[in-house]
Amino acid sequence: MVQIFNDYKDHADFLTVYVREAHPTDEWQMKSNVKDDVCYAQPKNLAQRVAIANDFIKRFNYPIEFGIDDINDAADGAYSAWPERFYIIDEKGRIAYRGGMGPFHYDPKEVRAWLAQRYGEVKHDAPAPPTTTTSSTAPAS
Amino acid sequence: MNPIWKWTIGIVLVLLIAAFIGLSVMAGSPKDAYGMVRYAFPHMHRGTLKVGDDAPDARLVSLDGSNHFHIREKTGARPLVVIFGSYT
Repeated sequence: MVQIFNDYKDHADFLTVYVREAHPTDEWQMKSNVKDDVCYAQPKNLAQRVAIANDFIKRFNYPIEFGIDDINDAADGAYSAWPERFYIIDEKGRIAYRGGMGPFHYDPKEVRAWLAQRYGEVKHDAPAPPTTTTSSTAPAS
Repeated sequence: MNPIWKWTIGIVLVLLIAAFIGLSVMAGSPKDAYGMVRYAFPHMHRGTLKVGDDAPDARLVSLDGSNHFHIREKTGARPLVVIFGSYT
């Protein structure tokens, strides 16, 4: 998503809204959370939610503007956002794009396609193939 | 017991087991299937918002924990891409 932000930040505004945790330790924790050292209990108050949001920002040096849903989950309720979802709101304040509900229907490519249709496609060079050299780094046998 | 009841109970049990196995495969493990049923399904709401609807407003808290702003304050000049999610 950060790549889409970098590609289209001159045309559109971006806002991340942090909603209630999807896989906290006291609910449905995933193995991947343990592996990635992302282990948090479900926040019971706003201060805890703010603390986790700040951890996320610091860890990933996240560049997109950030807002935190109230502990009463008002934004989540208004947008049916949990666990993850995209929307695009147009200049008139209307829903221009409504993404599917994550994780199964959460598709950043649809957001990119909406922006590309309006502002043009941003192409990236394909990653360079691994280079092969004649000097081997393998240990001598 | 009436044979019809026996068959009915048997079929329901088989369907429940099949559903749990299917959910386990989809979620990744029986534990994840339980998590999905216990914690995810009750909070998942497809919602009624449609393309063309007025975007609802909601008050958000800034990262400093004390200042607030509204989603609709950010709309108007350009399209606003809103990314909902959490850390975990």
